[in-house]
Amino acid sequence: MATQSSRFEFDPGFEDDRLRIVWYAIIGVLVAVGAYATYLRLTGGMATTNLTSIVPWGAWVAFYIYFVGLSAGAFLVSTMANVFEVEGMHRIDRDALFAAIISMAVALLFVWIDLGRMDRMYFPFLWRQLTSALSWEVHAYVAYIGILVTELYFSMRIDLARVAQRASGLRQTFYAALALGRLDTSEGSQSFDQRWLKRAGIVGIPLAIFLVHGGTGVLFAVSKARPYWNSGLFPVIFVISALLSGTALVMVIYVLRTRLFDGDSVDPDLLDRLAQLLIGFIIVDAALTAIETFIAIASLHPHEIETWQVIMYGPMSWSFWWFMIGFSWVFPMVLLTKKSWRRTPSVMVLAGLSVVIGIVAVRFNIVVPAQIMPVMEGLPHGSYFPTLVEWGTSVGMIGVGLLLYTLGAETLPLTPLTGGDHE
Amino acid sequence: MSTADDDTLPGIPNVGKADLDAMVEKERPDPREELADVEADTDLGVAMAEDAQRVARGELSGDEYWEKYDEAAAAEFGEAYQETPNPAVDAGDQTVSTETAESLSCAVGSMDTVATESTQVEGDGPDGGIGAGDEKWGMVIDLQKCVGCDSCTVACKSENRTPPGVSYNVVMEEEHGEFPNVTRTNVPRPCMQCDNPPCVQVCPVSATYKMDDGVVNIDYDRCIGCRYCNIACPYGARYFDFGENYDDEVDGAGELTSSEYGVDRGPREEGKSPIGNIRKCSFCTHRLERGEEPACVETCVGDARNMGDLENPDSDVAQMADSSRAFQLKEDEGTDPNVYYLK
Ligand code: SF4
Ligand code: SF4
Repeated sequence: MATQSSRFEFDPGFEDDRLRIVWYAIIGVLVAVGAYATYLRLTGGMATTNLTSIVPWGAWVAFYIYFVGLSAGAFLVSTMANVFEVEGMHRIDRDALFAAIISMAVALLFVWIDLGRMDRMYFPFLWRQLTSALSWEVHAYVAYIGILVTELYFSMRIDLARVAQRASGLRQTFYAALALGRLDTSEGSQSFDQRWLKRAGIVGIPLAIFLVHGGTGVLFAVSKARPYWNSGLFPVIFVISALLSGTALVMVIYVLRTRLFDGDSVDPDLLDRLAQLLIGFIIVDAALTAIETFIAIASLHPHEIETWQVIMYGPMSWSFWWFMIGFSWVFPMVLLTKKSWRRTPSVMVLAGLSVVIGIVAVRFNIVVPAQIMPVMEGLPHGSYFPTLVEWGTSVGMIGVGLLLYTLGAETLPLTPLTGGDHE
Repeated sequence: MSTADDDTLPGIPNVGKADLDAMVEKERPDPREELADVEADTDLGVAMAEDAQRVARGELSGDEYWEKYDEAAAAEFGEAYQETPNPAVDAGDQTVSTETAESLSCAVGSMDTVATESTQVEGDGPDGGIGAGDEKWGMVIDLQKCVGCDSCTVACKSENRTPPGVSYNVVMEEEHGEFPNVTRTNVPRPCMQCDNPPCVQVCPVSATYKMDDGVVNIDYDRCIGCRYCNIACPYGARYFDFGENYDDEVDGAGELTSSEYGVDRGPREEGKSPIGNIRKCSFCTHRLERGEEPACVETCVGDARNMGDLENPDSDVAQMADSSRAFQLKEDEGTDPNVYYLK
């Protein structure tokens, strides 16, 4: 919590220079690996993947829905501050929005590299198909990114103006440009911003829930050729697991950025609030998944049962038991149960990271197993594990995301200059 | 080969070579009679034909032949002669020398150019190009006749020149029961050309669509390669072209591609469609358009596959599709395939 005296102190970026170097070095390695893998992908085409016509969607699609989920989740957490005005949440408003924007950018990179014809990536804006969920999604993503940027602008504009007023030269031009020239820091201008922030958020909520992430779930659920996806609960679980991963991400970012960038201490009440949200989402996510599994198995539909057998006992079952159940539900749940742990930043970072990693397995277990069972008896079974090129490009794109986030965190007033809540 | 007339194989009647030649001679139409029906000069025609045979026997060179007849042909056929490329003057493999070729009054271009031009003229015709036919194409496969030899799969691969990993047609072999009560069914599976195709439903750029003749088309120039249709097809009929080739197995495997959907795409090259696109059976639209049956139907050993117009009640396929033996794969999916099977 900033005090009156530090009211307009603006010093973003790492507190510790050594840490900065180490962090950028790590990102550099990730991006370099990714660049080489991307070179191989571009020259070698789709043959550099382990995808086949039987398993046409793999790691890239899994990461794509993972990052869309992360984004939608982080965005919905931000609306708790700027739409529902939950007390004490304003501190993480911008962090959540900025993370949502970066996640979305990374998600689109994953979609892009997955196209057989990357050069035609703009075609969905030239030709459409009303009945295609994917066609709708592409447009929803663009609208959603627009909402996110608008929101971040209205949330951050007043602080950009404050910084611009005190800076000079190039820095002043930079921040003034980001504020789109609106340098008024009066009460009136602030309430104008808050009004529009709320309006954008209200438009954004249904967009994020029904179109962006629910829609991504629909994309799979409409595929009646794959009974494992073809259920009405499926898109709902998509949204819940998105909330789960988004909340966890925001929690991790909040602690790390407060500690490492602002050099402040973490607000234990805020941390506790996020932790409790996380508990709720874990319970709902696990419960809905259990219902879905039960319905699938009780249907005695051979396709459903065999798909679940692949998930639970197949060669990749470790990802289900260890990552999906272990990392995204059980382990964080254990850490979250104790009140004193919920108020301990390091423990919560651990819980948050565990969820963020665990949900990756959730996404893989959505995409891959449904393609292992042949659509018709007599056709071959699929099998899939990503190649090094697929892993390498994925690591690279995640690296790009981390880089963009860090650059933003080093230049933008993501922590409200006035401390926590809007005045 | 010096096959003597008395060189008989057991069980085969000895027909002398002279007899055979006489048979050919008897069947051969009289050139004068044939040419009498044509407007052009009969004497010139007979003379050119006789000399052409001499060229074939090597008694006359190509150069001499064309020098002898160039003027007469130009006078007789006028513009038609001057504008049509001379088949003897074909790029790379011509049977007359360049000097002679240049001295001729006819056009000197390769026959390939003529062929390409004329097909394009047909394709751009007023009646709407590929797939606009009045028929509604359907296929009926008689499972009692299918012997599971996979000839259709092979014929399809060579007709459509599909790369490794892409097989528009497969024969699914199902074994049922336990020894000794085992039955085996072979189910050939092309694209069903569904009436309600889920693949068309999901394509974000409308790159795949139904044509008037019922065939589901893929526009390789529009497809972005997202493989959503691949996921959505309940029959596993779609294949992604990963860009692999048979170069190690076959010399010059990629020199030619099939003119699927009536589009000639020249040689198969990296980064060029259909590489990076989705592919599937097109009922050999390019063959249907020229009045031929799909390659699999034509090749079928057991005569199990039939092709025809489902909307014509008199057609064989319409009658077979109506029979009590007829069924479609995955009828409850609501896709309404245009491929029927007879049990
Ligand atoms: S069989 Fe598959 S690819 Fe063919 S039309 Fe039906 S859904 Fe489309
Ligand atoms: S792979 Fe091509 S044809 Fe299939 S849905 Fe994507 S763009 Fe359409």
